[in-house]
Amino acid sequence: MLTPYSANELFNWLRQKDDFLLLDVRNEEDFGRFQVESPYKVHMLNVPYFDFMEEEEASVAKVPRNKKIKVVCAKEGSAQYVGEILESHGFDDVGYLKEGIVSWGNMLAPVRVNDEGEAYEVWQFIRPGKASLSWGLISEGELSIFDPSRNLEFYEEFAAEHGCKITQTFETHLQADYISGSRFISKATGSKVFGHSGDFMGASFDYTAVQNGDIFKASPKGPDIEVVHSPGHTPGSTCYKIDDTYVVSGDTIFLVSLGRPDLGGKAVEWAGMLYETMTKKIRTMDPTLQILPGHYIEWAEADENLVFMDTLQNILDSNAAIYGISSEADFVEFIKQNIRKQPDVYAEIRKVNAGWLDPEDDEQSSMDLGKNECAASAYAAQQSA
Amino acid sequence: MSEMNFDQVLDCKGMNCPLPVIKTKKAIDTMDSGQVLKMIATDPGSKNDISAWASRTGHELLINEQTDEGYVFFIKKK
Repeated sequence: MLTPYSANELFNWLRQKDDFLLLDVRNEEDFGRFQVESPYKVHMLNVPYFDFMEEEEASVAKVPRNKKIKVVCAKEGSAQYVGEILESHGFDDVGYLKEGIVSWGNMLAPVRVNDEGEAYEVWQFIRPGKASLSWGLISEGELSIFDPSRNLEFYEEFAAEHGCKITQTFETHLQADYISGSRFISKATGSKVFGHSGDFMGASFDYTAVQNGDIFKASPKGPDIEVVHSPGHTPGSTCYKIDDTYVVSGDTIFLVSLGRPDLGGKAVEWAGMLYETMTKKIRTMDPTLQILPGHYIEWAEADENLVFMDTLQNILDSNAAIYGISSEADFVEFIKQNIRKQPDVYAEIRKVNAGWLDPEDDEQSSMDLGKNECAASAYAAQQSA
Repeated sequence: MSEMNFDQVLDCKGMNCPLPVIKTKKAIDTMDSGQVLKMIATDPGSKNDISAWASRTGHELLINEQTDEGYVFFIKKK
């Protein structure tokens, strides 16, 4: 029997280091552009479904016999097709990914960040298909979400499971690399949306404009959420400091980089802003603060519980090549060296996030697929490697 | 929209993958070397799939374009 599996099940198997073969049957180009990324080593093979059609025996012979087989394709039809061929050749444990690679792209995995028994709960929502992170704060039955993606269903289920209500969402900036969920969540639940006017001025939906130093509450008696305006990646980039302990840093601070300031097309100007943010806002923060970034670059940045979090001190120390630059001119030069093309779809995604474009659901899914390109540092090094 | 002569036409509109490629293969199998198949599909996945399948099998993809009708392919059998 061919068994369907969900993206969340796949993630759990990967997380538990289960032994199986991930057989991706999409064409090589699509596979090369975007594929499942696992926290741990995974046995993955790409054999396009039309290879099974053209040369069934030779293609089947490429698939190891002694493993469970999990087939992945674009939507699910081709994975079923290949699954049936494998079964007809005597493979007895074959599954196919329900709704295809898009469901992997949208999938969110929750991980508790702080210890049980604390007065409030901090949650990390990993989106492995995008290498992005949204964050949740539960206090007195109220859930605040930072940088939600458009997977409304997930956040609603999560809130129901934890007996809380989504009351507010905070945007760290106008995202270019994925479609923000704040608008959809607000529409569905009536939650408030917070963002900085430097990015959201002119947005087509209602939002509360935040300013540097503003303090909001997670719940009436809950922890403070303090606004730290940190322009550079975008003019309205904002960090949110929770309870003087955590900083949701969006695309300003990454664990191994800074958010690239060239996505807006004004690299030099925004790099100057970012330098000022780095020297006057980031380096002067309490170094013991725990940074909760908007993206990761590699799974290796996560701890053993798959939490992407580190102290500001550790980040500054281990990324001195960027955070240690001591003149604006050198910093701008560093950014220029690292400028790389951004995906064409980013311009459209920005418009969707400002509410100026409202494409069909399918179209949004396809715009939203693919790993992010938001970090500043790694590119030049990779090119010279 | 480009137009050229063709020997057979195959309508795969509304079908999801893998059907457009399977039907294309079946149609090509019935044709003679050098003949041209026009195929129309609406599944966005067919764009890269047909192109990858053609380069794998050696059939020549003469035209691969998006029109109001859908994705239109002209494939010359090797």
